Amino acid sequence: MQNKLSIYLITSILLLIVLAIGSLFMGVYDFGGKSPLIVLQGVMTGNPDVSLSEKYVIWDVRMARIVMAILIGSILAVAGTSMQGMFKNPLATPDLIGITAGATLMAAITIVLGSHFREYLPDFIQYSLLSIAAFIGALVTTLLVYKISTTQGKTNVVIMLLSGVAITALGFAVVGFLIYLSKDEQLRDLTFWNLGSLGGATWGKNGILLVVMIVSYSILIHKGKALNAMMLGEKDAEHLGIPVEKIKKQIVVLVALMIGACVAFSGTIGFVGLIVPYILRLIFKSNYQIILPLSAVVGSILLLVADTFSRTIVAPSEIPIGVLTAFMGAPVFIAILIRFKNSM
Amino acid sequence: MIKGHQINYAHKKYHILHSVDISVEYGEFLAIVGPNGAGKSTLLSMLANELENKNPDSVLFKNKMFKQWDLKELSKNKAKFSQHNTNDIPLMVKDVVLMGRYPYFNSTPNEEDLNAIESALTETDVLHLKNREYNSLSGGEKQRVHLARVIAQLQNDVKHKLMFLDEPLNNLDVKHQYKALRLIKDFTKKANTAIVVLHDLNLAAQFADNVLLMKNGKVAAHGKPHEVFNERVISEAYNFPCAICANPITKNPMIIFGN
Repeated sequence: MQNKLSIYLITSILLLIVLAIGSLFMGVYDFGGKSPLIVLQGVMTGNPDVSLSEKYVIWDVRMARIVMAILIGSILAVAGTSMQGMFKNPLATPDLIGITAGATLMAAITIVLGSHFREYLPDFIQYSLLSIAAFIGALVTTLLVYKISTTQGKTNVVIMLLSGVAITALGFAVVGFLIYLSKDEQLRDLTFWNLGSLGGATWGKNGILLVVMIVSYSILIHKGKALNAMMLGEKDAEHLGIPVEKIKKQIVVLVALMIGACVAFSGTIGFVGLIVPYILRLIFKSNYQIILPLSAVVGSILLLVADTFSRTIVAPSEIPIGVLTAFMGAPVFIAILIRFKNSM
Repeated sequence: MIKGHQINYAHKKYHILHSVDISVEYGEFLAIVGPNGAGKSTLLSMLANELENKNPDSVLFKNKMFKQWDLKELSKNKAKFSQHNTNDIPLMVKDVVLMGRYPYFNSTPNEEDLNAIESALTETDVLHLKNREYNSLSGGEKQRVHLARVIAQLQNDVKHKLMFLDEPLNNLDVKHQYKALRLIKDFTKKANTAIVVLHDLNLAAQFADNVLLMKNGKVAAHGKPHEVFNERVISEAYNFPCAICANPITKNPMIIFGN
């Protein structure tokens, strides 16, 4: 079984690399007949023939954005899969149960309140503050939703989803109010947060995302066994030597960290955490030992493809990526509802 | 093996267990019987460390409190078969049984684990269902899959293991009821211990070394089957008339309910 997993992992990583290279070719900028790969190689090797604008487009715009799509897609999918495992429910994704909204809420407040200090703070600290605020928002919401909807390890799905609806509504209200109050520049930022976009990709943000990813994955990716065992019920998982309470705490904190970082840098990109595990479950059942590590790669593939579409079909303008993921996500949501109608 | 001294348990205002004393030895097959709501499953859960115990020193497993045990080590020494009728587990049968081996491997099951699963599946007669989806099985088949999982979990070199079973015979047909009890009996013959909640008194009389009869959260009787199964005690506990004679074949007590 583990050998099979490595085969699937390697195949999907290869596919991701091919797609990433393909995505590098997509865009409006004309390199004067040169292949973007050659230009990229020129940038890497410090070739003086590469003009500054070429370097800017290939390295700081396209590459940064592709890498960000890969990082964010992966993180969103893993966060979704881990949440579903903890809640033992395929609908328990950070966006549906309000975690994303909680993070957005705190991010929005930080933007508006923080605008007074903005000019005095270096970029790096601004991004970090924003991520920390979003992390706190995500953490508080996760704890809240879990406390409201779960008693003795059993989750009431209706309560879980409805608390998500309530928190999302609160988020909308607060963000709406802030938009009403805010100045022009903040307004742009806020709209961006609500719709989600990878347009703001920079290498600095990618660095922070990478750190978040490494920290979270080093703990989460091996939790497949534990999440499988929790399907038996939490008591029975403990009989199998799984420290359930500890693992749940780790998941809550790490998911909040991951969602916080994603929301801070790319706004609300919905449904990735719903679509990816759903597709994987169709093929591998709910075996978290397989779907948890695979979702890390498939999430990247999904978001990279979606983002490449979002910036090419109406070029030079772009469609907000949240619109595209919602187009894919909503049918999946409905499919899950129909399929699990009887067990909910 | 395991000792309980003055075990109490209350849920909100309701006292479910009143100062229960229990001691189970190596190699013993103990059946817990009693009418509905007598506290059988709760007692089993308390002994298995599933419920919060206000006096953690009231249960000693191998002379140690549960919180002194390492969780993983504990899982190689004891296992529990619970009632799982409602659970939705979208996995293959073999993956469910493999869970029993989780304490033994990190990411990839080794040869030993795969052999343990295979033999457990064979013993509970579900080998042919190995590649089926767990959710598509009937109630009795699911029970046998979980039994296989518990058996696979305790397949190791540890001496004196303990198995808790909460109504393992639910939904099983006659043949598999006997097979399951025979498996448990064989397990206890190797100096291991089994504590089993049973509903069928006749099966308890036939297989158990000792019987603990519970009523209203208290121990109503405790001893060898022929001591506990006496007409007065049983009719009182179940509030229903019964007659007891010797089983013509095994000579164990045979309980016949009704007038």
